[in-house]
Amino acid sequence: MAKEYTKPLPHPAPESEPFWTAARQHKLKIQKCKSCGSHWFPPAAHCPECLSADHDWIEASGRGRVFSFVTYQRLYNKGWEGEVPYVVALIELDEGPRLLSNLTGIEPEDVACDMAVKVVFDDVTPEVTLPKFTPA
Amino acid sequence: MSAPEPNPALRDKYAIAGTGTSRLGQVPDVSSLGLMEEASANALADAGLTAKDIDGLLVRGPDDVYTFHQVLGERLGINASFSTTTANGGASQILSVILAVMAIDAGLASVVLCGFGRDAWSRTHRTEQARISGATRSAAMETQEFGPEYGLFGAPAMHAFGARRHMHEFGTTREHFGAISLAFREHAQRNPQAQMHGRPLTMEDYLAARMIVEPFCLLDCSLRSDGAGAVIVTTTERARDMPQKPVLIKGFGTHNNLRGWFDGDNMLRTAAGPSGMRAYAMAGLGPKDIDCAQIYDCFTYMVLTQLEDYGFCKKGEGGDFVSSGALRLDGALPTNTSGGQLSETHNEGMLQIVEGARQLQGIYGPDRQVKGAETCLVSGHGGNTVCHSSLILGTA
Repeated sequence: MAKEYTKPLPHPAPESEPFWTAARQHKLKIQKCKSCGSHWFPPAAHCPECLSADHDWIEASGRGRVFSFVTYQRLYNKGWEGEVPYVVALIELDEGPRLLSNLTGIEPEDVACDMAVKVVFDDVTPEVTLPKFTPA
Repeated sequence: MSAPEPNPALRDKYAIAGTGTSRLGQVPDVSSLGLMEEASANALADAGLTAKDIDGLLVRGPDDVYTFHQVLGERLGINASFSTTTANGGASQILSVILAVMAIDAGLASVVLCGFGRDAWSRTHRTEQARISGATRSAAMETQEFGPEYGLFGAPAMHAFGARRHMHEFGTTREHFGAISLAFREHAQRNPQAQMHGRPLTMEDYLAARMIVEPFCLLDCSLRSDGAGAVIVTTTERARDMPQKPVLIKGFGTHNNLRGWFDGDNMLRTAAGPSGMRAYAMAGLGPKDIDCAQIYDCFTYMVLTQLEDYGFCKKGEGGDFVSSGALRLDGALPTNTSGGQLSETHNEGMLQIVEGARQLQGIYGPDRQVKGAETCLVSGHGGNTVCHSSLILGTA
């Protein structure tokens, strides 16, 4: 039996629902403007480049690089008890947008800026899947 | 549409006429408002004024006190022709001084009290319940997605992303960050009000300190403090008739990278760059004309990048600059001469305005006074790490 999941879960804004729905289906989706072609993240109703409201949710390549990262050595939340140190990374997707995530399959001391990564999906509860990243 | 240009006609037209602080550090017997009352009363006394002389009140308190300016005005007995609470994080305090100048220039006020007060230490220590919850903000203010589910908590991590990237791009080291921490700690030994007075620091201590969020250790992080500061802003003409030596407002600027800390190069080239350019333009000065600085030091890295962004050294050379001893009282750019937020008191930059003004009034003894200082640059930074304001002060 899986142990209880004690970390915080996302409370999606209405604009973010398609991202989390796609994650449950193991797809990394971001918004793409139908007017100017820009991609953006985090989700918003209008394109931050041209303010068009006309966009698609496209499946991203899932590939990117670690733009920067931090390593927690202090416990801030009981959900991570026994898991310190852990890394939170800022991933720059090949499409351009950046998002925060965790890295799997690598020790904190081996993480470096600009390393290539690809998306993996962590089904943390029956309802919630978190996109995470692993060395590509 | 052409870019707006700062108006040099404002240069030296307005002044800081008085400064005040509350008790600092651990002051559990009063709230943020009580702290602000203390600082306000001291600033008014310093300027030879009473609350009845004030017609502008521009202040900031904890984010969960609605319209802080109104509840403070009620306590101080002030009805003001111009008043608001500023909400730009650590950039708010200089912004209040800027708004004061703009309000006076527009004829909406004549004598303005600007300040900040917060009971940040007591919020987690005043009672046993506060100790257990450990919360400084209400739950509704916390991020709801794209952060906490991945374990992102607290201000240190946000700033540490910038520090890590700077280390990667420019070869900056922990020893460079340590040099900043040590310089300000040394200044705190000269300031009996400083929380870290009597607690000198060595590079060995710095490197052995416990890590919080790498690359930051405990000594890269500013203090948690109770405290308040206040300044009185009026016309230079009026300030000349008041008891203290006026401190001229020579220039100011702002910039806000509202697209966020994670956008583009914002974590490496901060809003201090364009904000500083505007302040220099209004003042008719450049980085070489600045005699001392009070740089917003929520974390060591933020000092390093701002020194570069303000043009005191080239981008990427901040590490060498701080390790040269430049920030020391006898250095090329004496910086955070009170100990700053890393070693005096964290007061969202308000005390750094107070310290800049007092240095230019020349009130300190030789152990703390920057010799011959005629100009001081003060910076404020915050609002999710992207909002910035700059103030250049000068002797009358």
